[in-house]
Amino acid sequence: MMFTTRMKYLVSVVLDTYTDEVTKKLLKLGVLHFVKVTELSGGLEKKVDKVQLSIPLSRLAEIRKRIESFLSIINVTPKVEEHADIDSLEAVQLEETEKELDAIAGEIQTIRDRQKTIQSEILRLSDINRQVMLFGDLSEGMKNKSTYSFLNMHPGMVSTARLQDFKAAFENVPSVVLTFNEEEGKTYAMVITMKRDDAVANTILDRFGFLEVELTPEMMGNKEGVAENIAAKILKLEKEQTNLSRESNLLIEAKQEQLEKIWKNLRLNELYNSIQSYYSKTTRTVLFSGWVPANMELVISRAIAEATKGKCYLEWQNPDSIERDLHHKVNVPVQLKNAKILSPFQMLVTNFSIPGYGTIDPTPFVAVIYLIMFGLMFADIGQGLVLMVAGFIGFLFRRKIKDGLTELLKLIIFCGGASVVFGALFGSCFGFGWFPALWFDFHGLLGGHVPADSPVKDILSVLLITLYFGIGVIIFGLVLNWINCIREKRWIELFFDRTGFTGTWMYLGGIYVAWFFVNSSFKSFPDSTTLLFLLGIPSLLFYVKSFVEFFHHKKHDPMLRFSVFSPVRFFLDWFVEMLEVFSGYLSNTLSFMRVAGLGIAHTALMIAFFKIANIASNNEVNWIYIVILVIGNIFVILLEGLSAGIQSLRLNYYEFFSKYFRGAGKAYSPVSLRNE
Amino acid sequence: MGLAVSKYGFINAKLRARLSKLLSEDFFDSLARAHSLVDVMQLLKNTAYVLLDETYTKTGDLKYTELELFRQEVRLFQEIEQYTKDEVLNLCKALSMRYEVDTLKQTVRLWFDRVFRERSIEDAIGYLYRETIHHDLRIDEILTARDLEQIAEILSATPYGKALTQAIPRITAKGSLFTFEIALDKLYYGNLFAAINDLEASDKKIAERLIGVEIDLANINWIIRFKSMYNLSLDEALQYTLPYGFSINREAMASAYSHDKIGEVFESLIKKHDGFTAMLKDQGGDSHSRLVLIERILEHLMMKEVQRVLVGNPFTVGIILSYFILRKIELHKVMMILNAKKYNINPEEIKNRL
Repeated sequence: MMFTTRMKYLVSVVLDTYTDEVTKKLLKLGVLHFVKVTELSGGLEKKVDKVQLSIPLSRLAEIRKRIESFLSIINVTPKVEEHADIDSLEAVQLEETEKELDAIAGEIQTIRDRQKTIQSEILRLSDINRQVMLFGDLSEGMKNKSTYSFLNMHPGMVSTARLQDFKAAFENVPSVVLTFNEEEGKTYAMVITMKRDDAVANTILDRFGFLEVELTPEMMGNKEGVAENIAAKILKLEKEQTNLSRESNLLIEAKQEQLEKIWKNLRLNELYNSIQSYYSKTTRTVLFSGWVPANMELVISRAIAEATKGKCYLEWQNPDSIERDLHHKVNVPVQLKNAKILSPFQMLVTNFSIPGYGTIDPTPFVAVIYLIMFGLMFADIGQGLVLMVAGFIGFLFRRKIKDGLTELLKLIIFCGGASVVFGALFGSCFGFGWFPALWFDFHGLLGGHVPADSPVKDILSVLLITLYFGIGVIIFGLVLNWINCIREKRWIELFFDRTGFTGTWMYLGGIYVAWFFVNSSFKSFPDSTTLLFLLGIPSLLFYVKSFVEFFHHKKHDPMLRFSVFSPVRFFLDWFVEMLEVFSGYLSNTLSFMRVAGLGIAHTALMIAFFKIANIASNNEVNWIYIVILVIGNIFVILLEGLSAGIQSLRLNYYEFFSKYFRGAGKAYSPVSLRNE
Repeated sequence: MGLAVSKYGFINAKLRARLSKLLSEDFFDSLARAHSLVDVMQLLKNTAYVLLDETYTKTGDLKYTELELFRQEVRLFQEIEQYTKDEVLNLCKALSMRYEVDTLKQTVRLWFDRVFRERSIEDAIGYLYRETIHHDLRIDEILTARDLEQIAEILSATPYGKALTQAIPRITAKGSLFTFEIALDKLYYGNLFAAINDLEASDKKIAERLIGVEIDLANINWIIRFKSMYNLSLDEALQYTLPYGFSINREAMASAYSHDKIGEVFESLIKKHDGFTAMLKDQGGDSHSRLVLIERILEHLMMKEVQRVLVGNPFTVGIILSYFILRKIELHKVMMILNAKKYNINPEEIKNRL
């Protein structure tokens, strides 16, 4: 758990008659991180051929994604179960599947075309409305009707008995039918249509014996009637469109089971082919290789032997022995194996980078340090509980939000927990001092009423606490670096680097000198012998480092020449490094004061909201007081919660990781049913 | 005239984020390979073009979807304008005038189709953008106008009225709106360069170069088309070209126009880029495919200019201009693919045109 998982390299040769069984077995196990056998075995390229896949992977992926896109219409994300029956794998019928998918696309397109017809009608109705609105009143439209308007207006009378049928007949034409008063069994009406629909409109008018007559000025002024009529029609058409849109969803829903079945088979075939894409072959054998966690060696050996009935040759190697054979470093995949509960912190680590193989996996340390920092910056029982509850609710509904957010939600729950713990230490709940502080009262400290027995009595002490915490984190990071250097046999770095023994010596020396200076009321430094020991000797060692590195490199590169200018160059390198060491460590250490800064800001903001609430409510606890404090708490949770989260991450990434973390690793990624 | 950081810090960070969301070449490739319009919409669902899928799913109308996309673009630029002030705001306004000019061109084209060519345009008028960008264009009044003079009168309160009045004799004589459209482009670039002139020296240099290159490329494109498709006289061809080019002036265009073959014309215009002229020489095929290749080369040259700006100082007007240019290219490609899918154009053909 402290280090990345130990890996072993497998080279396997099996008879080609067992290719299918072996592939299925490896897919079931899902632990082999495949590497082409030619990659780490020099000279094999000419002796082996690639295994030809029946269907290219890209083609399988393309069809699979096509199904995914159809299923996404109904918000379904298909998944292969971890224990899917690989033996039921069927050959993909590409043409048949594509035909089925084309048919679905065709059916959806037909629905879309029907929607488009409705949309055209909506647009035409909108055009009628716009054109009508251009006129002062409808009589103006009448005057223009023969020339440039897109509209035709038909004022006249229609039999009242046939009025409903008359209106219904115009339902299928983008039109407006306005009706006015009745006179002797006939109703005055105004029919407005687009000119392009003249033929249809005239046929209907003729069919109903529509008699064109002049309308009264009152009737002609009824522009609002047109707008209302059109709005009602558009609303109806939009409803029809929505129904059609649902129809396409229903279509996918009806085919969901079939689509998921095809998708599952495609996905399994894709994984199966993906494994075989790493295979190489000779006339009668198949070769493959890859990395496996060392504890899986026996399981894999047994599985392959079982699949091939013992007709296989397996060779297991440690990374060291491969590196010895090849005379260069090998990029071994890195598996971080942490308890599931630490997954959000592992996410923080991998978001930065993958640690180098065999080095320390910082996940558990990040979990502790991150939460302490967050707690110090955002200490409040009530607000912490709110964060936890919000995280839990989000977690419960995580299927409805993006998958990547799950870890973030877990992190929020953890952060909420840290806030609760530190809230109890500082005695704060929604800014109230409802509980006695277990450590010291942060609010009292800022408000100027510190109990006499408080272990921390002023702001400076709070700053010092975070400074000590920062020094602790940095020294811990340096110790982790020593361990990494020893494991990776980076001896020069261990002894002479700024994050090795010399750098740590200098950092501790610097801290002592600073402590001495402060304790002497900023008047004196330690004596010269102490200064020489604490800072002088490590400075000298940094200069020696350039020589040691030079002669070390010369062993591997005989072309390197030591000239009279070399010491000068080394001096310049040393000078720059000294500047970096001093400024770097100073800024890294002081950087932790932001923890105190954010903690103070958090408390000060709450105090400010209490003051506002008191002023607004005349020092009474009424609804104004409560509303202001609720708003204040929401504001602080959002603002300070985000700030504390970001600053904790920043301190981990730049102050802690920079001491020991080398993100040179490649993630362990076996072909498995768990693959996304 | 404040500090560059305060002037551009926020807006450029915002635009940088949007630039990172521009679609990749691989993605365009998968769009081109998609089996149907429905598949393309599904692919676009997870990009900044989600609106396309939403509108298409609701209406089934690709042209209406295009209109909604146009609306989104205009809103986006109006949003950018909110985050800028003084001379940068003026520049943004000058840039967004492009949308107004395009809308006006579309409207007058429809009117022209109806009155001069006596075509029915009723199916198309619903797809015009009618909201005000900078000036009230009174689209519906233009569409129902009796003649060009009336349109000029409708537009009299805008800068476009005068341009139309001046272009009327040529439109009537030639039976083509080309003169007016070129006048609109000249107006747009004139206005843009007036805004560029107010920028600080370093910004001005960047803007002149980027927009200048855009004009150069537009001029090269036109010159080649005038020569190969319309066979215009030199004077006429030069009349239709745009001023404010960065490296190609009237003399260069006149000299290029004297060549007989398209390849030579093109070669003469992009002398600096030997690789491309060699590529053009090697390319066989008909004049259409040569034009497509020339367009691709010009687009590539534009992209090179934009890349140059993007890797430079982040606190300049270059980011705003680059975004405007890249987004325009991307929109054009997306709409091209959607329309190609609608008409079942094969993927290879689409890829060639990308």
